[in-house]
Amino acid sequence: MTDTKRPREPFAPWDRRSLPGLFDVDETAERIGYYKWVEIKLFEALGGWVATVPELDVKLRLGTHCYHHAWHAELFDKRLPELREMQTERLTVPPNDHMVEFFESMTEPEAAHLTIEKLVGVYRVLIPHKIAAYTYHRNGTSEITDMPTIRILDFILQDEFNDWREGEMLIQSMIESPEELERAMSHQTKLEKIMLAAGGIAGPGSIGDPYVEIVEKN
Amino acid sequence: MVQVSVKPESFEMVLYDAAVIGEVVAEVAERLGVDEAITLNIDETSPLGRSKILSYDPIDLWVDGGALENTQRPRNFGQARSRDTIGRLLLRILDRRSGRFDDAPADDELDLSQFAAWDVHNVGRLERIGLGGQKKRRLYQFRNRHGFTDTADAAFEELWGSSELSWAEIERISVGCRP
Amino acid sequence: MRKIFPAEELARDSRFIRQSNEQRMGDPRGARIAGGNAGDALAKLTPGLPNGPDRARALMHGIFVGEIQALEGAGRTCWDFELGDEAPLALKLDMARQCWDEARHCEISVVLAEHMGTELGEYAENALLYEAACNPDPVLRLTGVNRALEGLAIDVFNTMKEFGNMAGDPVLEFCEDWMLADEVTHVKMGSDWLRRLTENDKDRLDKALEFQKVVDRLFSFNGFRGEEDDSPIQLTRRFRELAGFTDEEIDEIADMSRDARSEAIT
Repeated sequence: MTDTKRPREPFAPWDRRSLPGLFDVDETAERIGYYKWVEIKLFEALGGWVATVPELDVKLRLGTHCYHHAWHAELFDKRLPELREMQTERLTVPPNDHMVEFFESMTEPEAAHLTIEKLVGVYRVLIPHKIAAYTYHRNGTSEITDMPTIRILDFILQDEFNDWREGEMLIQSMIESPEELERAMSHQTKLEKIMLAAGGIAGPGSIGDPYVEIVEKN
Repeated sequence: MVQVSVKPESFEMVLYDAAVIGEVVAEVAERLGVDEAITLNIDETSPLGRSKILSYDPIDLWVDGGALENTQRPRNFGQARSRDTIGRLLLRILDRRSGRFDDAPADDELDLSQFAAWDVHNVGRLERIGLGGQKKRRLYQFRNRHGFTDTADAAFEELWGSSELSWAEIERISVGCRP
Repeated sequence: MRKIFPAEELARDSRFIRQSNEQRMGDPRGARIAGGNAGDALAKLTPGLPNGPDRARALMHGIFVGEIQALEGAGRTCWDFELGDEAPLALKLDMARQCWDEARHCEISVVLAEHMGTELGEYAENALLYEAACNPDPVLRLTGVNRALEGLAIDVFNTMKEFGNMAGDPVLEFCEDWMLADEVTHVKMGSDWLRRLTENDKDRLDKALEFQKVVDRLFSFNGFRGEEDDSPIQLTRRFRELAGFTDEEIDEIADMSRDARSEAIT
């Protein structure tokens, strides 16, 4: 018969979750506001582009991915009040002007022959940066205090990886000549430069700082 | 060159050219070995796709304007569709003249299943000589008349792939797969 | 990328041929609709018609291009309006969801077209549906698209579902039933947003309902969609009720179809 009075540890031996995390409540809310802004801008752009791309498979993928990012925006929107931000629009902002510029440049291509540029902006620049920032956040925040955010980011990252893979394959299938390759690379470089200035989708520190400060000892 | 008489000679409601239509009919007739005069009556007011044989001898055909239409460009003449329409009608005439169809009901006594089965046999033969095709379209029509079953699909393949069936054989295959 | 993308610039590959409204309505033989012709004697679309399967094929292609345009329209609603007073986030989220649904409907339609032996682009495409999705007022756009056009889609899908049932075609019936479920959701979205966004704006509500009537009339097809036994596309009361239509609103569409039918006959 089970001894119901026998004490057990509150954290099982295999449960290595720890405290504290990298972000306090306000920092978390701020980052999530940036994420939500980015997701909104992305799903709006994907929706707008659907009518402008002639390639049927790309058209249908954009329509599908549009919803994925809208759902991400909704998840972040629901998380904000749980982080003491009741006026969710207040934090639904870009991290800086460079990020605004990034989206203006990313959504500039409209003509039917610019599908490569449209896809490169999303799948070779923006989504890899989103995956990086979300992964940094997911791995750095406390798995105890901020598990709701981690759960959201896990769902979102699953979408991001799948969508990135589909988008990258569409790009590879569309690049058939050195000229098209050059177009893709050139557009990617242009957008990466703006993203570099922005510091990532949540601004400087989007993926932390890996460098070590060396203090002079002698 | 087969002599083809197209009626009317000019069109008001569709952008058809009687001379072009005549050439296509003659081409199909020659491919099928028909070397006698053909009259083709077109009801240009109808965009539907009906067709029938008014007379077997001399050959006198009737079609809705839509039976010769390019479905991508309404009111414009469609060569592929016309070859299919005229080809099916001429094959039916040749079948009836062959002696293998002496026991077939008159055209206006054929039911939808019988028509569908005979059409499958006709279009399969047309495809093999490079005149038309749309095998899946015919399969869908055949399934609507004979059921969406593996048995019906096998019957379709037999009708499509056979070279010269008799009416009795077509009827046997058609009846044998109906639900 | 511009706001409001013109219908004539909708991007298509070489398989698709556009037919303008002028060409469609100017066809002296009558506009082609539901795989039939406005000038024909009316008959409910069933497999028993001599040209039933071919009409269903043509209608399926019409559904396919309609789904593409519905996808494009929903996508543009995500992009064309500024977030906030012009279009709340929840509305845009609904439109993004609709994008996904319409993309899946396109995929379903491609599979069904293949099943029915229709090639993509086999029939001319008309962009009337997308044009309704270009209205600069989001309320009018949603009313025209989600209530009028998606409402029509309910009627069409139900007719096609019944066609599949009568023909014993399990693939068609299965697919149409799923698409029908989505369409009821889309129409309900339209009904809900119409009420929410015009709650304190009677003038805007009236304009939106008027726009819906214009679109409904355009797609009443000379009475082709109606409640009569021989209406090729049957008006579907039950599903429209689920989607937020009142009895009076459904009566009005039925009356409109009857009127259009009488006008076509006289």
